[in-house]
Amino acid sequence: MSKHIKIWHMILLLSLLLITTRFSLIYESVVLFTKFFLLLFKDFTWAFNQLNLQLADYFFSTITILLLPVLIIIARNKFRLPQLEVSFPSGTITILTFIFIYAPLITDTNPDFQKNIGVTKLLPPLSRVYMLKLKEPDAAADMKTKFLYQKNKVVKRSFDEQIIFADSLKENDSIIYYQKEKEFHIKRELLQEADGKLFEKRVFLFGTDEYGRDVFTRLIFGARISLFVGFGSVAITLIFGLFLGFLAGYFGGIIDSALNRIADMLMAFPIVFLIILILALFGNSLFAVILVLGYSGWMSLFKIVRSEVISIKNRDYFITAQMLGLPKRNLLFKEIMPVIAAPVLVNLIFQYGNVILAESALSYLGLGTGGMYPSWGAMIDSGQQYLTKAWWMIFPPGFALFITLFAANNIARKLSAYYNPLLKS
Amino acid sequence: MIKTFQKCFILFTVALLLSSCKTDRLIDESRIVIGISGDIESLNPLYAFGINEGYITELLFLPLLKHVWNPGKELIEAIPMLAEQWEWKDNKSSIRFFLRDDVKWTDGIICTVEDVIFSFDAYSDPEVGSKLYGSFEVFYIDEKQKIDIEKTFEVISPFEFIIHFKPGTVPSLFNLDFPLIPKHILEKIPRQDIASALFNSAPVTNSAFLLSKWEKNQSIIIKSNPESFLNEPDNIKEIIFKIIPDYTSRLTQLKRGEIDMIEDIKTDDVVELKNLNHLNILPLKGREYEYLGWNNIDPDLYAKNKTISPNKLFGNAAVRRALTLAINREELLEEYLGNYGQIAYSPVTLIFSDAMNSEVVPYPFDLNKAKELLASEGWKDRNNDGILDKNGINFSFILYIPGGNPRREFAATVIRNNLKAAGIDMKVQTVEIGILIENLYGKKLDAWLASWFVSIPIDLKSFWYSDLNITPLNLVSYQNKKVDKILLDIEKSVNEGTRNMLYKEFQKIIHEDEPVTFLYWVDNITAYNGRIKNVVNSPLGIISNCWKWKVE
Amino acid sequence: MSNEILTLLIKRIAVSFLALFLLVSFLFVLLRISPGNPAQKYISPNFSPELIHQIEKSFNLDKPIITQYKTFLINLSKGELGISYTYRQPVLSVIKEFFPFTLFLFSTAIIIQICLSIILALTAVKRINGKLDKFLSRFTLMLYSTPSFVIGVLLIYIFAEKLGLLPTSGLKSFGIEKLPLHLQLADYINHLILPLATITLGGIAVYYKYLRENLENIYDQTFVLNLRAHGYSEKTITLKHVLPNAVNPLISVAGVEIGMLFSGALITEVIFGLPGMGRLTVQAILSRDFPLVIGCAFTAGVFVIISNLAADLLKAKIDKRLAKGMLN
Repeated sequence: MSKHIKIWHMILLLSLLLITTRFSLIYESVVLFTKFFLLLFKDFTWAFNQLNLQLADYFFSTITILLLPVLIIIARNKFRLPQLEVSFPSGTITILTFIFIYAPLITDTNPDFQKNIGVTKLLPPLSRVYMLKLKEPDAAADMKTKFLYQKNKVVKRSFDEQIIFADSLKENDSIIYYQKEKEFHIKRELLQEADGKLFEKRVFLFGTDEYGRDVFTRLIFGARISLFVGFGSVAITLIFGLFLGFLAGYFGGIIDSALNRIADMLMAFPIVFLIILILALFGNSLFAVILVLGYSGWMSLFKIVRSEVISIKNRDYFITAQMLGLPKRNLLFKEIMPVIAAPVLVNLIFQYGNVILAESALSYLGLGTGGMYPSWGAMIDSGQQYLTKAWWMIFPPGFALFITLFAANNIARKLSAYYNPLLKS
Repeated sequence: MIKTFQKCFILFTVALLLSSCKTDRLIDESRIVIGISGDIESLNPLYAFGINEGYITELLFLPLLKHVWNPGKELIEAIPMLAEQWEWKDNKSSIRFFLRDDVKWTDGIICTVEDVIFSFDAYSDPEVGSKLYGSFEVFYIDEKQKIDIEKTFEVISPFEFIIHFKPGTVPSLFNLDFPLIPKHILEKIPRQDIASALFNSAPVTNSAFLLSKWEKNQSIIIKSNPESFLNEPDNIKEIIFKIIPDYTSRLTQLKRGEIDMIEDIKTDDVVELKNLNHLNILPLKGREYEYLGWNNIDPDLYAKNKTISPNKLFGNAAVRRALTLAINREELLEEYLGNYGQIAYSPVTLIFSDAMNSEVVPYPFDLNKAKELLASEGWKDRNNDGILDKNGINFSFILYIPGGNPRREFAATVIRNNLKAAGIDMKVQTVEIGILIENLYGKKLDAWLASWFVSIPIDLKSFWYSDLNITPLNLVSYQNKKVDKILLDIEKSVNEGTRNMLYKEFQKIIHEDEPVTFLYWVDNITAYNGRIKNVVNSPLGIISNCWKWKVE
Repeated sequence: MSNEILTLLIKRIAVSFLALFLLVSFLFVLLRISPGNPAQKYISPNFSPELIHQIEKSFNLDKPIITQYKTFLINLSKGELGISYTYRQPVLSVIKEFFPFTLFLFSTAIIIQICLSIILALTAVKRINGKLDKFLSRFTLMLYSTPSFVIGVLLIYIFAEKLGLLPTSGLKSFGIEKLPLHLQLADYINHLILPLATITLGGIAVYYKYLRENLENIYDQTFVLNLRAHGYSEKTITLKHVLPNAVNPLISVAGVEIGMLFSGALITEVIFGLPGMGRLTVQAILSRDFPLVIGCAFTAGVFVIISNLAADLLKAKIDKRLAKGMLN
């Protein structure tokens, strides 16, 4: 059965699913984009100032999600990747990438949104609370205000004064609602009507955390942070490893043995402490974590690249080419890339797993990316304090982390078995 | 053979699991285990810098007298310890002490006035660098702040002496309340080597308890000193301070009865603990308040050439008041602290109800008023980016919070959203405590979230006096001439009534200026096993007079 | 031949120690240029600037870095690492209190890991690609993919909180000195079950993977066929011929792993409140106890050098041909 499902099937399915379930949001976003586009002609500086990362994120994901089904059908036969069969690891990676790109469309709240903590905190999965919406002040006819109004509709903010959460509610001449046994009254005409009702029920799919934030939303956005940390540090590892490896292999001599010894030492040294030391002494921000984790992994990559460079340098054809006066550096680069690509890839995927693991361990020690970004590690860390009261805080990010790592390790193992026939049986 | 190997392994595992059921018999009724989060560094009172070290050394070494909380009268009073009695002379310019003659050090030597004098000498010696160094202003001191023994002490007999204070100062018994150390041991050690002496981990003591064992990073065990006059037959025999770094583990062990007491319980856990019959909860009020520090001066200019100029964002009292109005302190207090705390509005602790100004009421949470106030100060969203601006500067800043403190992370997260609703963009950055301290002293930060542990007696001058050279702890660089005068008057006043009047006046001005946003007083919640009797909820610390505890 | 090896050996040790020395020097500078003041641990009115200055002076921090470094070198040449700021004791005597425990904990964990993985791998290769084999491969990889603090916290939750079977922290119960010896031992073991399980479970995948692959390869080799043809029983073949060959490569893995001693047990030590080197090092870093940080790094480095060397020598002893190559 699974033999017939290919990656592009999956992508198509996911994108269509997202478009149908989130149609209203995507529609509003398109409207917003049109308004923005028109405003660009009218008052360029004003409109351009409106464009921030968050808005751009919405624009990008809206446009690409609409194009994605078409593109994938056109491009399915041109590349090998969409033709791969769906297995556990490749399926996981596809879903993760999808979440990574379309996080703002998948959820309908801001990951930091919290209101009326007393009502919403530590709710178990699938909990429902009453949600009242106050009427927005009437939008003026001005194009800019209309745009701002539309923007607030689409781009989710971490606060919203128009929303009130309540435990229970009575309809009377006015609406009476209760927050932790406290009674509040509100006039009907102040409330926004939606589908003929003055209130709706907000469902928290995976429950809420201690601030009353939606765990599902945080999990989705957490994928971004966690994957970003992983990719970022792996990229740094790659740069360091390749550069130093080439340097050592190409020049040899003192540079080589010095770098080699340093790598040996760092490989043997409990590098975790160096990471902790640097983060503790110089401050731990998202980028510091990425940088330090990335830097701490260059040694094994360095060893691979170095030994390959040395072995190629000593091969007959290379020496012949050199004697013929061909430019040495270009040749080396051309020769070496295909050879090292596979082991480097395997190494990087392992490294990726290690980095995500290390990030979560650092969060546990209070040295992670900080509680201000919803990284999975940080979520696990804060969930750990509520383990006995709110298992749903730790379980979803823990499971997500585990699945990601499992998929990464799985791929790395398969690749290494594939490229290294000695291990293949 | 593999089978045998496997069998052995399984047998071994089973044996391990079976043996686990036998720990119960180890719980001894006559001793108390107190869970603490980190190890202490020294048992020498000279270097007892941390809170737990302070508690433990005070149980091992006698002071001349000790301040305790009188729950009946709701005030702090001094009780005799090494000194049996004392009398003030000549309008508090000197004091005469009569020592007990039955106090012995654990090595058998009798404790006399020599030890007292040596202690004052050592505590104030720059070579020693004790925790009290630099705090002996009421005594005759030399330029290096060392006490002049000749001028200060007048010895009458081995158990009787007079202390002469420096004229013009207002000494109090608080200046004399600290643990004393044995002369006959420490005089043999060169002063600069005392910090690393063996004495610090194997001390010779003289108080209600003596050290039984200190296993690094595991536990400190003290047992009652049979020779001590404080010791009564049915008092507790042994106290173990067990080091458990992980909070959840501490809590689990408390619930299971493996340990008898822990401090700093999170309010989330209180409900659960209350349902357990064997546990009692004690909230200790009014010793710690949390605040948002707004740097009143411009950090860049101060760093450049120490010029004082108002901060671009927080230099204005009205803006600071608006910030306080925009923050929902009630919600924080209710949801995180579970109402184990009070809204704070000045640094004067609530413990002393006579000093509280009833006319001053905390600012309510009022977003609209905050917005109005900000608008009247010129902060408006002119470019429609959702953030207020003035003179082309956005109201945008970073709040620094120390890492590893869930309460502050919680507050920062909620405050960030509160302020965003008011059009203020606040980012939160967690930093390691050491870095935070350095930056605070350098006045390099714009905003931070921290708390002050208030001292008893109340010390306001160290925090709010204008002269930044003598008050490094005035971290926000608050400057107000009127406040300065009040603080100096407080220092000089002898009369309780006038001092309370001055405290009230101070609160009024601080409330108007709002140099920091006072968030709330945080209760330190202690939970302990009901089998311990005689526990007094003292603002001076629950453990501080634990030799009086009894065990059922 | 043996002379040559000896020279290589000395050269290797010398180079390793040089690298260690450079690393420690790097740390020395890093610590001193980092923000934060070791003398300034709390903010309190008691900490007057004069007092801080006094403490700095007693820590030797008031002098320029070069002078401090010189003092450090002189001390190092005498085999001293200075005096810990927090414990106010010589660094070496502090480390001496913590090191044996970590060594014990971690080496026990490694032994259990190896034993367990031998049993599991032997069971698994009985039916290669059978259900059990596949399950074990996946399961160990799953454990490997779970952060150790998650394992630790879960174990506490299940065995201590819910079942109430095992203690959650510490090394022993109080007052066990009064108990008979076997009960004392039982108490220690009791306290160590969960920490050992936490370390073991996470790391078992590494050994298991190596061992299973080795076993599989060796079973495929001709000499096994030969032995089988000669009528040796399967048991003898496995125990006398296959297993020793398969376990050999594990020695070097174990050598590298035991070098990770300090960091490997760190999270476990924190969760279970155990008095080990990992916690000591992190505490030293956080409290800016410079001499102790350097001391811990130095000890870790020396230990790594020795354990790697020992593993290589052991391997070389088993297979003489390897000796030269490895020592290079």
